Amino acid sequence: MLNISHIYNMNFLEKGMLSIMPEAVIIVFAFIVLFLTFFERLSKSNNPYYLSLISIGFSMLYILMLSGRTIDGFYGSIVFNEFSVFLFIGILFAGFLTILMSNNYINNFEVPLPEYYSLILFGVSSMMLLVSSNNLIMVFLSIEFMSITAYILTGYLKGNTRSTEAALKYFVLGTFASAFLIFGSVFIYAATGHLNLYNIHYFITSVANKGLINFGTIKIYLAIGLILFLVGLAFKMSLFPFHAWTPDAYDGAPTPITNFMATGIKIAAFAIFLRIYSLIYNFNIMDFNNILWLLAILSMTFGNIAAIMSSNIKRLLAYSSIAQAGYILIGIIGGGYYGYSGTLFYLFAYIFMTAGAFAIVVAFENFDLMSLDIKKYSGIGYKYPFVAAAMAFFLLSLAGIPVTSGFMGKFYVFSAAIKSRYDLLVLIALINSAFAAFYYIKIIVQMYMPDKEELIISSSNGVQRDRGSGGANLNKLNNDFGVVNGKINEGLMIAIFICLFFTLLMGIFPQIFINFAHNSINSLWSI
Amino acid sequence: MDFFIKYLLSILIFFPLASVILLLFINKKNEGLLRNLATILSLIEFIFSVYLFIYFKPDTYKFQFVEKFNWITTFGASYFLGIDGVSLFLILLTTLLTFVSLISSYRYIKDHVKEFFILMLILETFMIGTFASLDVLLFYLFWEFMLIPMYFIIGMWGTGRRVYSAVKFVLYTLSGSLIMLFGLIYIFILHYDQTGYFTFNILRLYNTHIPLNLQILLFIALFLGFAIKIPVFPFHTWLPDAHTEAPTAGSVILAGVLLKFGVYGFFRFAMPLLPEATLILAPIIIIIGVIGVLYGALVSMVQKDLKRLVAFSSVSHMGFIMLGLFAMSAISVDGSILQLLNHGITTGALFLFVGMLYERAHTRQIADFGGIAKKAPILTTLFMISVLASIGLPGLNGFIGEFLILIGSFKHYMVLTIIATSGIIFAAVYLLWMFQRVMFQDITNPQMESFYDMNLREIITVLPLILLMFFIGFYPAPFLERIDPTVLHFLSIIGHHGYIHNLIKLKTGLSNA
Repeated sequence: MLNISHIYNMNFLEKGMLSIMPEAVIIVFAFIVLFLTFFERLSKSNNPYYLSLISIGFSMLYILMLSGRTIDGFYGSIVFNEFSVFLFIGILFAGFLTILMSNNYINNFEVPLPEYYSLILFGVSSMMLLVSSNNLIMVFLSIEFMSITAYILTGYLKGNTRSTEAALKYFVLGTFASAFLIFGSVFIYAATGHLNLYNIHYFITSVANKGLINFGTIKIYLAIGLILFLVGLAFKMSLFPFHAWTPDAYDGAPTPITNFMATGIKIAAFAIFLRIYSLIYNFNIMDFNNILWLLAILSMTFGNIAAIMSSNIKRLLAYSSIAQAGYILIGIIGGGYYGYSGTLFYLFAYIFMTAGAFAIVVAFENFDLMSLDIKKYSGIGYKYPFVAAAMAFFLLSLAGIPVTSGFMGKFYVFSAAIKSRYDLLVLIALINSAFAAFYYIKIIVQMYMPDKEELIISSSNGVQRDRGSGGANLNKLNNDFGVVNGKINEGLMIAIFICLFFTLLMGIFPQIFINFAHNSINSLWSI
Repeated sequence: MDFFIKYLLSILIFFPLASVILLLFINKKNEGLLRNLATILSLIEFIFSVYLFIYFKPDTYKFQFVEKFNWITTFGASYFLGIDGVSLFLILLTTLLTFVSLISSYRYIKDHVKEFFILMLILETFMIGTFASLDVLLFYLFWEFMLIPMYFIIGMWGTGRRVYSAVKFVLYTLSGSLIMLFGLIYIFILHYDQTGYFTFNILRLYNTHIPLNLQILLFIALFLGFAIKIPVFPFHTWLPDAHTEAPTAGSVILAGVLLKFGVYGFFRFAMPLLPEATLILAPIIIIIGVIGVLYGALVSMVQKDLKRLVAFSSVSHMGFIMLGLFAMSAISVDGSILQLLNHGITTGALFLFVGMLYERAHTRQIADFGGIAKKAPILTTLFMISVLASIGLPGLNGFIGEFLILIGSFKHYMVLTIIATSGIIFAAVYLLWMFQRVMFQDITNPQMESFYDMNLREIITVLPLILLMFFIGFYPAPFLERIDPTVLHFLSIIGHHGYIHNLIKLKTGLSNA
């Protein structure tokens, strides 16, 4: 066991290395996976897949060892604290679930495997770097790092036009966002002379307190900088006016990667936004809450309306993720201890319900006979009882029905917002949730209540539905169907089980997670 | 035994869930075993719930069988259960009707038997949980999840436009519930602002002081949630669809238990939490209630479909209950609560009979029936009793409830009460007319020649309900004496806030009916 009791006596390099230990492990493993390409025999098998899973496990181990400590690294541009721990765990779960989903899916395509997994690992490490970064340059670098892996992974299905198109769109818009981000940083630097978030925070506090004469000019620069920075991050969070890449990228990307973008990138972007927002936005420079208020309402409303009209399940989930981003934003608007911890709680809940839904989409995509059209889901509730029930559960969670984590998350952020007297916002959000229930239920209707004729057609294969969960049953079924890849492999089943477990646990006994979120918010503020 | 009595409510809530886990392990092809086992388990559940009645102390308004455990300490939410005289009977009604509806669906449910019984038992868990919880968050959790099993029951086993009805049902009630959630969170936050700690304990929240104009807005928010569930007149449009398309068991539970939640919500949450708004808005709600009485009755008269007729009669009856509840005299509230039970029993029975007719004739159109009385005397007799109970014939349960409501409301809302009374006459018109067209006359439809009488299972299904109709009709005292203290306490909570003090004076006017 590594002895880290002398952590505070180390020199800056040792400290720096320690502060990025969890990321470093993942990066090392990413390189190892990448080197597998040189050995043809190794790269063809499942080795990259298992290695990637192991690397996530190792990283988790390091986080557990380091948790509870605050470690500044690299002259304060990286901070490892409870806040990072919370989000690291979330991101690692997102990566873990993505890798579990990928195994069978990516084998269907003629693409090199080790690169794929190593890119996912690089993506995970970049997200972790992002949430622990405490410096505007570091934020920019990690976001670029994260985005580039995401661009490549989106277009990973070589020769697939949709995938390539999605990657190109994503790339163009993403670069645009990066430009905003760097431009914003420049303005902030010009106004404050600091790049470290804590220093910026201190600087603005002291200037605002002293009421210096030149605060006026600083104010203009800061306002411009912060707005541009917000725009850049809003792209990554896929909030309404900056969402344009989301449906196409989500739709075209390989489904596990869609999941990766919907869970990993989104929570990383939200987390860093939360950190920056709570540190340098809440001064009397401008009423940013009003801007966020508008963004939240537009995102929810637009996301829900667009989702109601879409008939492709991946697009639907993409639009629903825009709406969800709106709900998550409510926590940040609500602000304060409860608002921020509510945001973290919701983010954590969001990972599992979205990943669960995507895992099931992947499972049915693997069958090949199911396309992504919602109509093709008709009657699967009877053919695959366990998986369909799980899907219904995740959809209900996304809709915010109680007993699921989605309800607790919504309840948490909504009560925080009401506590700060954003009544109208919450009312609109609640009406939106009622709207949103419609399209989630639409899928459940397709699964369980198909039209009689369709049911007859889809069950005319002569397959008797078999109750009882588990992959073995499904294997048998798939053989009967004669589908190409007809089995839900263990990886997917494990992913679904993990998601179910957390969605249910967070819905019924959320206290542990709430405490966890509280701790991480405390550490966010203990500068 | 001590343990059993102490945690009886938890046992009642989670026993059906445990039964579900048991049922999960049974092969779905073994339908007979599934049916029998589920029914027996629901019977055991009912027997457990009778213990509530036995060990319930009738002479206090205090909550009994209280259980309290920390749940989410951050929000001050706890696993806080307890019942008073009102929830006692509603829980008994729930367990009884679940049992009854499970027996009634032996023949009706032919496909996906396992899923059906599992969903019914899950539904039972959440229904009992809703009635038993004294913690607002816990209540909401049970309240809203309840929609999901019901949605599946309507959508998977319904007839005709079942999907449309199921989705309409969910979206309607969900939107109402979400607006209600807004109101509940608001009160929760107001309480926090005043006291500095979070709590969802309803007894603590009663003490929240809320300014009057805010109270009215919050009342409207809660009203939407509860009124859609009841449903009160302008929000009733989901009800006929859901009822008509649902399978018999679904209709029985929907009419028998789910509609009660709205009134229960008013009784437990909206009115005591927002007493001043209640007193101010009561006349308006009573007017809406009376419109519901007349509207439901008039629309029932022109229905061609048996189930739709019974469904609209529910709208009418629920209007009565709203009248009694918001008249806020002890007698009328007593009557309302009793009428809740009566409505559950009689309408449940009516839906069972309609279901039996449908199983035999495969039609629900009144015009297709006729001359059944000769073919099926037992069915006719028992159906007649239920119809008369629903009309409010003295000696049967409906009479007691309606009579108390009308007497209690008469003093304050004389004109409205008189108008509402005509609803009873209309009820006699549409129900008896329906009965005459279905049961008597000559057989015109050749299908009716092969109509057969009730078998033993079906008699067992309706018998408890028929017996209860007579029992409440002749001897309502055991019910009223348990409801009474709770109702008086309820009125004193509202009266305490003293906007219209003289309402409380009516407290004295209570006899044992």
